Amino acid sequence: MDLHFTPEQEQFRRELRAWLDANLERSWTEETRDPNHDADSLVELRRVWQRKLNAARYIGMGWSEEWGGRGASEVEEAILQEELTRADAPQVPNFLGISLLGPALIHHGTEEQRRRFIPKMLNCEEIWCQGFSEPSSGSDLASLRTRAEPDGDDFRITGQKVWTTFGPWADWIFVLARTDMDDRYGGISFFLVPIDQDGVEMRPIRQITGESEFGEVFFDGALAKREHLVGELGEGWRIAMTVLGYERGAATLAKPAEYDVQLDGLVAGLRASGKLDRPDVREQLGRLVIENEVMRSNGLRTLAQLASGHAPGPESSIEKIFWSEYAQRLSDSALDLLGPEAQLATRAQKTGSDVDWAYQYLWSRAGTIYSGSSEIQRNIIAKRVLRMPTA
Amino acid sequence: MQFDLDEDRALLKSSTRELLEKESALADARTVIEESAEGYDKALYAQLGELGYGSLLLTEDEGGMGVLAFAAVLEEMGRVAFPGPFLDLALAVRLLSQSEAPEAAEWAERAAAGEALVVLARLDATSGSPTRFTGGRVQGTKRFVPFGAHADALLVETGEGLVLVPRPGAGWNAVAQPTIDHAQRFAEVRFDDAGSLVAASDAARTLLEDADRLGAIGASALLLGLMDRSLELTVAYTMEREAFGAPIASFQALQHRCADGLLQTESTRSAVYRAAWAADETPDDAGFLAAVAKAWAGPAARYVCGQAIQLHGGVGFTWEYDPHVYLKRVKTLEQFYGATRDQLENALQSRGL
Ligand SMILES: Cc1cc2nc3c(=O)[nH]c(=O)nc-3n(C[C@H](O)[C@H](O)[C@H](O)COP(=O)(O)OP(=O)(O)OC[C@H]3O[C@@H](n4cnc5c(N)ncnc54)[C@H](O)[C@@H]3O)c2cc1C
Repeated sequence: MDLHFTPEQEQFRRELRAWLDANLERSWTEETRDPNHDADSLVELRRVWQRKLNAARYIGMGWSEEWGGRGASEVEEAILQEELTRADAPQVPNFLGISLLGPALIHHGTEEQRRRFIPKMLNCEEIWCQGFSEPSSGSDLASLRTRAEPDGDDFRITGQKVWTTFGPWADWIFVLARTDMDDRYGGISFFLVPIDQDGVEMRPIRQITGESEFGEVFFDGALAKREHLVGELGEGWRIAMTVLGYERGAATLAKPAEYDVQLDGLVAGLRASGKLDRPDVREQLGRLVIENEVMRSNGLRTLAQLASGHAPGPESSIEKIFWSEYAQRLSDSALDLLGPEAQLATRAQKTGSDVDWAYQYLWSRAGTIYSGSSEIQRNIIAKRVLRMPTA
Repeated sequence: MQFDLDEDRALLKSSTRELLEKESALADARTVIEESAEGYDKALYAQLGELGYGSLLLTEDEGGMGVLAFAAVLEEMGRVAFPGPFLDLALAVRLLSQSEAPEAAEWAERAAAGEALVVLARLDATSGSPTRFTGGRVQGTKRFVPFGAHADALLVETGEGLVLVPRPGAGWNAVAQPTIDHAQRFAEVRFDDAGSLVAASDAARTLLEDADRLGAIGASALLLGLMDRSLELTVAYTMEREAFGAPIASFQALQHRCADGLLQTESTRSAVYRAAWAADETPDDAGFLAAVAKAWAGPAARYVCGQAIQLHGGVGFTWEYDPHVYLKRVKTLEQFYGATRDQLENALQSRGL
C-alpha cells in the first residue's frame, strides 16, 4: 500500500499551481458576484478560460499528443481537477465534449471525424452538448424513441431530447437515436448533429435555481450526415456506455476539495456568529468534516487502483452516491447551523469567502439525479457487485 | 500509488484468515464467548504469541510489522468476532516496549509471547478524583478494565503517570461488569497495591496519545471486519430465503439496504487502511485520520449489523443465529477506544478547530 504521489506527480502539481497563480485573474465566485456579468457573458468568460487552459495543454490531458493531449495518467487528471477546484477556477464550457465525446471519437470515430471536430472542441470554437435523455427515457435510457431515418446517404432525425446541459449555448449536439425500432440496444446509433439548421429547435428550460443552464431540443427531420455517424449503425449504445466509463477517476479529488472550500466557509460563518463553541454545533460540524475525509479516502483508493492498473470496481457507484448525497447534507446542515441569515444574500451581494448556501442547497439536488440517479447506482451495486437477483 | 497490501502483509492477512477459520471459526468463537470463564481461548492466545502476533504492532525495527499489518490482522479477527483481549494486549505491549523502566521490557516480552496478559486500566470510577500513585502504591478504582479480572498485570493511568501493577498474591479486587458483548469481559478493579512507575506524567501522556490513536485504528479495523462479514452473511441469507414466491434478495428495498451496507463497508475500508498506512508512513496526519476512521466506522458498522438483523427477520432476533453477536461487538467497539462523539471532537481539534 502506498498513497504517496510520485515525485513527477508532485512536480506536475507545483507547475500547475504556479500556472494558475499567473493565469487565473479572478475566482469564479468573484466573477459570478460581478453585477456587470449576465449568463451569456459568463459563458464567454468560460470560453476564454478554456482557451487559456488549452494553450497550456491542460485540456484533454489524457489523450495522446496527436490529439492535443499529453498522454497523462488518471492521477494527473485528478490532480488537475483538484487544483482547478481549489483555485475556484471557472468550469470550461466544453466539459461534456471533452469528457464524453472526445474519448468516443478517439476510440470509435474515424480519422476524418477526429480531424474535423477535436481541435475546435479543445479551443472551444464549437461547444458541444449531450443529447441522450428524452421526456420518456431517462433512467431507462435504452427505451429512447428519437429516430434517425435514412435519406439518401444521410439521415433525418425526428424526436425530442431534454435536460440538455449547455444546450442554449451549444453549436453541436451528440445524439443517441434509433435506427431500428425493434432492437432495444442494437437499434441505437450515435450521431453528431449541428444545432444551427432548420429542423432543430433549442428551448431553454428554467431550473429550480432560476437559471436556464439546460434546455430541450426538438428535432423535426434534422439532417445528420453519414460522415457524422460515430461507429457503425447500431453501435451507439455500446459506445455511449463505454464512454461514460472513461470519466472514472477525474472527480475523485475534486469533490472533497470543493467541499473543503465550503466547509471553510461554514467554519468562518460559525466563528463570526459565535456558534463554533457550541457542543451540538461542533458535533454536526465534526460529522461533516469526517465524512468529507472519508470521501477523500475513497477517492485516493480509486486513484491508487487505477494507478496500479486495476479497473475500478464498485468504487465508482459508491463515490457517485457518496458525493452527491453528501453535498445535500452539507448545504442542508449549513443553512440550519447558520440560520436564515445565510439565505439572505443573493450571489451579487455576497462578499469574501461566503458560500452561497441557498444556491448550493438547490443545486445539490441535481447531483443525485444526473449521471445515473442514486437509485440507479444502488441498483448497480446490488446487481453487479452483490449479485442480487432481478425480481 | 497502490491501495493493495504488499506481499508480506497480504500473506499475513490470508494466513491469519486461514488460522482463524481453522482454530476460531465463528461457531468456535461463540462457544468461547458464551461458555468460557475468561471470555477467550487461552491456548489459542498462547499459540498467537508463539507465532509472533503479540509483537505485531511494534515497528519493524522492534521486531513487529507496524500498524498497517496490525489493521489487516484485526480486520480478519473482526470477521469471526474473535473474542478476547488481542487489541488491548497489543496496545500494552507497544506501550511497555516504549517505556524506559527496567521491568517494562520484561513484561513487554512476556505479554508479546502470550505468556502474560497485560492490559491498560484507564477509566476512573469517579470522574474528578483520579487514581493516585503515592509511596509506591496505587490507590483508586478503575472501571471497564478489559479482561481486568484475569490480567497478570495492569498498566494503570494515575495522576502521577502510568504505573505497572502485577497481580497481587490474593488476586485482584475486581467485580465483573458484564455488558451485552460477552466477547470482551470488563471488570471494575479497586487498587490498593504496590506498583512501579513506567512513565511519569508527560511521558505517559505521549504514550497514551499513541495508544489512543492506535486503539482507534485497531477498533475501526475490527469494526470493518465485523461489518464486512455481517453483510456477506446477510446477502447470502436473502438469496436463500423466499417470500411471495421469490428470493427476498430480489426485492429492491432490500437491495438498496444492502447497497448502502456495501457503501458503508467499503468506505470504512478506505478510511481504516488510509489511517493505518498514515500511522506507519505519515505520522503528522495520522491523528486526524485515526479520529476520522473511528468516528465513521462505529455508526457505519452499527448500520450494517443492525440491518443484518432486520433482513434476517424473526431468526435474526434469536440467540441461535449469528447476527446478534456482531451487533453486540459493534456497540462495545463504538463506545470504547474513543467514542464517536469524542472522535468527532478530536477530528476538529486536530484540524485546529
Ligand atoms: C441538472 C441536470 C443536467 C442534466 N444534463 C443532461 C444532459 O446534458 N444530457 C442528457 O442527456 N441528460 C441530462 N440530464 C438528464 C438525466 O440524465 C436524467 O434526468 C436522469 O437520467 C433521470 O431520468 P429522468 O429525469 O427521466 O427520471 P426518471 O428515470 O423518470 O426517474 C424518476 C425517479 O425514479 C427513479 N427510478 C427510475 N428507475 C428506477 C429503477 N429502476 N429503480 C429505482 N428507482 C428508479 C429515479 O431514480 C428517480 O428518482 C440532466 C439532468 C439534470 C437534473
